[in-house]
Amino acid sequence: MKIHRIKAVMRRHLYDIRHNIDRSMDVFYWPIIDVIVWGFFSFYISTNNTFGPSIINFLMGAIILWSIFYAFQRDFAVGFLEELWSRNLLNIFSTPITMWEYLTGVASISIFKIIIGSFTASLCALIFYSFNIFPHILLLIPYVLNLLFFAAAIGICITALILRYTTKVQILAWSFAGLLQPVSCVFYPLSSLPQWLQSIAWFLPTAHAFEGMRQVLTDSTFSSTYFWWALILNIFYFPISLVIFKKTFEATKIRGLLVKLT
Amino acid sequence: MVVEVKNLTKRFADFTAVDNISFSMGKGEIVGFLGPNGAGKTTTIHMLLDLITPSGGEISIFGKDFRKHREEILQQMNFASPYVSLPYRLTVFENLMVFACIYNIEHPKKRIEELLEMFEIADLQDEPAGTLSSGQNTRVGLCKSLLNKPKLLLLDEPTASLDPEISHHVREILLRIREQENTSILYTSHNMAETENICDRIVFLNHGKIIADGTPIEITKAILNEERNEPALEEVFFRVIKDTKTI
Repeated sequence: MKIHRIKAVMRRHLYDIRHNIDRSMDVFYWPIIDVIVWGFFSFYISTNNTFGPSIINFLMGAIILWSIFYAFQRDFAVGFLEELWSRNLLNIFSTPITMWEYLTGVASISIFKIIIGSFTASLCALIFYSFNIFPHILLLIPYVLNLLFFAAAIGICITALILRYTTKVQILAWSFAGLLQPVSCVFYPLSSLPQWLQSIAWFLPTAHAFEGMRQVLTDSTFSSTYFWWALILNIFYFPISLVIFKKTFEATKIRGLLVKLT
Repeated sequence: MVVEVKNLTKRFADFTAVDNISFSMGKGEIVGFLGPNGAGKTTTIHMLLDLITPSGGEISIFGKDFRKHREEILQQMNFASPYVSLPYRLTVFENLMVFACIYNIEHPKKRIEELLEMFEIADLQDEPAGTLSSGQNTRVGLCKSLLNKPKLLLLDEPTASLDPEISHHVREILLRIREQENTSILYTSHNMAETENICDRIVFLNHGKIIADGTPIEITKAILNEERNEPALEEVFFRVIKDTKTI
């Protein structure tokens, strides 16, 4: 891998953020709106004493971490879609850049965007609802990394599907995470799911990450069980996503689909 | 040899787009790839860029196996086609800067300004690529293709959307670059006069096969099957189409 080529991909997307209001909205607008809306909601139920004040912590933490997961998998796929929409794929892949360098570039710029977006959202939560996530950051980072890992695996698979089926499946870039949300136990504990759904949730790194997050926010302790479960699942899923992508990319070039995408 | 292609074949299911072709290109040579639509010209170019995987055959560029030395080879090559665009929101300068970074070019700003001047589009550098006319877009694509001072340049109908004056200017630039840098150029075009004018050698394709390979005058004599003093590639082209229809 050549670092200058990865930086070139990042530069291309940074320029795009500067010119494209859609991408700037992805970075700032939605994380802030989510925090504000869910903040009002959690403030309302906490003041009505239904669940106690800890509900604010749960919901605010959940919305910030979910935004990180959702944004990463979305930005991964949308980064590739940008090349497709602008008919730039042939220009990109007729250079020495490799597919892995390209994906690393898109992942790096997505992480950069997430850091800015989640920092802004966390600041809003602190200012508007006195929810301070910053003292918990160190304990939350291992779960956030697991979320990013899994989001990357999903983003890579969606990109592979876009390579194969073109923009016909582009909606997956925005919608697929929603499919996982109910079983990821973002806003409620794993135990609240029916038994059969709990069995499915155990196979999702997201469910373990959010369980771990709740423990951090409740009693400031780190559950290594949730962390290791999430990591082991990621170690299983991530290489699978890379293999799927590699095979799809090769098949795309054999079938001549890459040149038809432009 | 800069390019050596042996028995190159590309099949898409039952359809053979490129059928067992072999050709080579020397240093500083400008080779015209001619043929009617669907002859296999663009597919061959795409295989030379690793955008399409061949079904069979060998590609060797700069004396190295293309599959094994892809990155090293593509670092010294480039490509332009008016049918490919650049990200439309990025300015011309930004787009070229991205590619300059991919090729790790020293003093990229200077190189970009030099090329924009050369193609007489320096005034467009702050314009978003999406606002350019097709002719301007083609010239930006040509700037991109020369950023890394390629030893091998693949041009797919580079003057298709240019007016005659700008086409002439582009051809002059290409000839000058060949002279100064000894760049080899593979050039496809449907403009036969242009091809006669710029190409040292012609590879004529039809239905995925090479039907003639030689200088414009050699091709003219071989396909028209008569003695000629001047190349007449347009006649050659019509003859090939007519013969194909008769078959």
